Amino acid sequence: MANQQILAEKSYKTVYRDGDTVVKEFTASHPKSNVFNEAYIHSVAEEAGVPVPAMLGVEPKDGGWAIRMEYVDGKTIEELIRENPEQKEALLDRFVEIQIEVEGRRTPKLRNTRYKMEEVINGMSEIDASTRYELLQRIHGMRRHTKLCHGDFVPSNVVIREDNSYCILDWAHATSGNAGADAAITYMKLTLEDPETAEVYLRKYSHKADMPIQYIQKWMPVVAAAQLSKHIESERELLEQWISVAEYM
Amino acid sequence: MDVMEQKTVELIDSEEKLSSKMAAMKEAQRKFALFTQEQVDAIFRAAATAADKARIPLAKMAVEETGMGVVEDKVIKNHYAAEYIYNAYKNTKTCGVIEEDPVYGIRKIAEPIGVIAAVIPTTNPTSTVIFKALIALKTRNAIIFSPHPRAKQCTVAAAKLILEAAVKAGAPEEIIGWIDVPSLALTNLVMKESDIILATGGPGMVQAAYSSGKPALGVGAGNTPAIIDDTADVKLAVSSIIHSKTFDNGMICASEQSVTVLDSVYDAVKAEFEYRGCYFLNEKEIKKVRKTILINGAVNAKIVGQTAYTIAKMAKVEVPKDTKILIGEVESVDISEEFAHEKLSPVLAMYRAKDFDDAIAKAERLVADGGYGHTASLFIDTNETEKMAKHAAAMKTCRIVINTPSSHGGIGDLYNFRLPPSLTLGCGSWGGNSVSENVGVKHLINIKTVAERRENMLWLRTPEKVYFKKGCTPVALDELGSVMGKKRAFIVTDSFLYKNGYTRPIEAKLDQMGIVHSVFSDVEPDPSLASARAGARAMTAFEPDVIIALGGGSAMDAGKIMWVLYENPDAPFDDMAMDFMDIRKRIYEYPKMGKKAYFVAIPTSSGTGSEVTPFAIITDKETGIKWPLADYELMPNMAIVDTDNMMSAPKSLTCASGIDVMTHAIESYVSVMASDFTEPLSLKAIKLVFDYLPRAYRDGNDVEARDHMANASCIAGMAFANAFLGLNHSMAHKLGAYHHLPHGIANAVILTDVMRYNSSEAPAKMGTFSQYPYPNALARYAEIGRYVGLKGKDDREVFEKLIDKLEELMREIDIKPSIRAYGISEEEFLSTLDEMTENAFNDQCTGANPRYPLMSEIKELYLQCYYKNAETSEAKA
Repeated sequence: MANQQILAEKSYKTVYRDGDTVVKEFTASHPKSNVFNEAYIHSVAEEAGVPVPAMLGVEPKDGGWAIRMEYVDGKTIEELIRENPEQKEALLDRFVEIQIEVEGRRTPKLRNTRYKMEEVINGMSEIDASTRYELLQRIHGMRRHTKLCHGDFVPSNVVIREDNSYCILDWAHATSGNAGADAAITYMKLTLEDPETAEVYLRKYSHKADMPIQYIQKWMPVVAAAQLSKHIESERELLEQWISVAEYM
Repeated sequence: MDVMEQKTVELIDSEEKLSSKMAAMKEAQRKFALFTQEQVDAIFRAAATAADKARIPLAKMAVEETGMGVVEDKVIKNHYAAEYIYNAYKNTKTCGVIEEDPVYGIRKIAEPIGVIAAVIPTTNPTSTVIFKALIALKTRNAIIFSPHPRAKQCTVAAAKLILEAAVKAGAPEEIIGWIDVPSLALTNLVMKESDIILATGGPGMVQAAYSSGKPALGVGAGNTPAIIDDTADVKLAVSSIIHSKTFDNGMICASEQSVTVLDSVYDAVKAEFEYRGCYFLNEKEIKKVRKTILINGAVNAKIVGQTAYTIAKMAKVEVPKDTKILIGEVESVDISEEFAHEKLSPVLAMYRAKDFDDAIAKAERLVADGGYGHTASLFIDTNETEKMAKHAAAMKTCRIVINTPSSHGGIGDLYNFRLPPSLTLGCGSWGGNSVSENVGVKHLINIKTVAERRENMLWLRTPEKVYFKKGCTPVALDELGSVMGKKRAFIVTDSFLYKNGYTRPIEAKLDQMGIVHSVFSDVEPDPSLASARAGARAMTAFEPDVIIALGGGSAMDAGKIMWVLYENPDAPFDDMAMDFMDIRKRIYEYPKMGKKAYFVAIPTSSGTGSEVTPFAIITDKETGIKWPLADYELMPNMAIVDTDNMMSAPKSLTCASGIDVMTHAIESYVSVMASDFTEPLSLKAIKLVFDYLPRAYRDGNDVEARDHMANASCIAGMAFANAFLGLNHSMAHKLGAYHHLPHGIANAVILTDVMRYNSSEAPAKMGTFSQYPYPNALARYAEIGRYVGLKGKDDREVFEKLIDKLEELMREIDIKPSIRAYGISEEEFLSTLDEMTENAFNDQCTGANPRYPLMSEIKELYLQCYYKNAETSEAKA
């Protein structure tokens, strides 16, 4: 790994550049099925025609597994905003447009957003049974869609190349389902970092996707619960507040 | 109290246990379905009594468990659910025959639906159980409760207590059930396995109920906007809103969420709210409260059912401890304004409206923000009926309460005693619900309607006066002057009759009586709308008080149309000519005739019978449309049948009109509407035509024959004026219209073929009329045959003889043997055949035919009548 540039590091994985490729190396304890699943989801997005780094393979690595894909030369929208704050509005516009473009594709090949959320919420012990009941009921009342949803669509996952073309990274959380949930996740992630940008995003998304804000808001308690299951202490207060809403009682 | 007593029964906490529980409940319900009204009423009463007695412990449990609401208010809700529901339905019949009308032969029988799935919200966890259990017991249904996990103990306690009381009073053991450990999976299973769902909950729950595939009575959220008009009693209005908004800490779904006050009373209203203990938030405080009450567009669960003080504290706003309501004076009614939402707590938005229209516009928007179909409220002086109507028209809500606390008003029977008491308020299609009323027992029963066959009332309608005898015209007309005192007579006739002096005796008689008169003699053979309009204009100028139509069918029909146009100049012909299935049920109602003029009809030929019928045909020659008009308003007031007017009819007319009489008589006899009153008329006319038509045809001066034919025509007219005609006329109308055959001839050339067609004992379809029991035309034709002296071993033989006799009659009066024999080219006939067929099928006369014709059959009949008797017709040609 000496001449390999580390791009990101988490407890269970290391992402590094290896020549023209990027390797996502998972720890040995990370379930094999998760690795293959991520490669599968990534391939589904690639086949659906979404600009993603080309999937090159899944390979054994130090007792664990690694995914190898094409290295994409460019800057993420997050980086671009940081470097050119005066272009923030335009970059956010681009960001929203790309998201809507992705969600315009339908795919039945991925797990449905609703089921995934249901499963997460059912397995959560940090919220009480009544709240789980209400959240499940809320999911149950949602419409059945099969839009391609990235599931972690944030500015750091969208790369803009020199030629202005784009490429979307990190498909581990993608599902087939409701764009409203996808937008709610983006809004939540943005809120956790910078509430003001989150508000701008929400208005832009609602306007460009022609989707009422209320519809996106309906998903917020659900995505907040799913995020809460990740146990990030700094997020707890806000997420718990988001979850604690009454639809009717 | 034994509310809390735990029996050792199996807990329902899994799908398997729930399924077997529901199977047991279904069995119990099957037994319960056989209970009598008396048994059911005793159970209903026992259950209501038990619930009523437990109202305080249940209320305490609910508040304790959910941490929401006010014990004292929940006591009222429980009390109401037990007592008001019992009172409202104690005498309601819900078992067996609930309505009966032996005269009309209708009986309504109430049957239970089966197992009701009842989803219970946390806001009313015990009162809703009492309400739903009582209406289920009253209707012999089983009911299974799916509690909200936050309120399961009190919900189950209420259900258990009612079950025990019901069973003690005789109800089957498993008639009420519940889920002990609620989960969405079990709730969904309950809905799937039940027969009907009484879902009270939010959009998610209602959606789930409707998508379960079972019929559902679901209700949803409200966002009740109250308006205080400048005519309202401010003190009453403000205290009503406070009373309602603080009730159970604002958790009732019909509770006011906003109040829009007209500018001129705004300050007074505000002062009154303050005086009565409400707190107006300042700008900064409004901002804080906004963030507290709503999170991402949804109500913060922590404020639901809390006091104003608690909520203020959460928002870090200091208010007196006994503050009743937190009021935010806000401007936007858009959904982006937190105060514009349903808040389920004593937090109220207040808007200033510049006028009443502005207030309505705001309320409309607030309803759209989240309260479609629920409730709206208005405080106003009830003399302001126009404003109230405007408000009612604008609100898309199923309840609109006036000068009433809406929480109490919406549930009924507290502030208005005709709004049924209920804790399940339907929101109609606007709220995605199947009902828009307050739900009650009627929604939980299936009503079987037992309808016995009844026969229609029929009638016999004729002109009030029918005068007949050779030479009777002046005698009959005398009445116009001596009795009725008529002053101005308008005579309608054709130019032939006028020129040949047929009007002269009439004019002479009128002169003698001093009745001034005018003659319109431009009626053409197929009377046109244009000439009828010309006649009507002349009438309007002349202003007659009596109209005398003299002539054949054309002049009498034209006279009737002129009469219509004279009395009702704007009469719409296309509406008047609209086909009907039953003349009594027609869509268009004819204008009343006879306000201006009395109508006298004097026939000069023996055929149409128009002097006694309610029919007239008029042709719009510009568009080619024939308007067949039929209504008893067109019935002449007086008919004068005087053979003197008929003596000069030429042979061809005697033949064609004579056989028309025969067709009228035969068709009216076999019509589905024939009755004891019309049959003798038909029979007599048939016999007269058989006996006298050949004589009148051979010798036009045979007074006796002419006399009887004149009477036969009029008698047959009376028969078909009441029993109507059939397919023969339908087909003849189109044959005449497309190929210019005289009407009588068109009837004659198809008559025996249509009779044979009608005589089938197993027709493809029979006519629809309750008096018509089974295909019986053959027997009816045989009755005609026997009446005219024919004999045979059975109906078929008599029928064949009747056909022979008719064909012989037609030969005697020189009617040709087929359509083709009248010189209609094959090419022309075939090219119009399909259109003629469809139009004949659609003719007004078709409906009374005993055999309901298929178009293919009509076409076949036309072809048969075109080509038939080829040898004879060629020989004759």
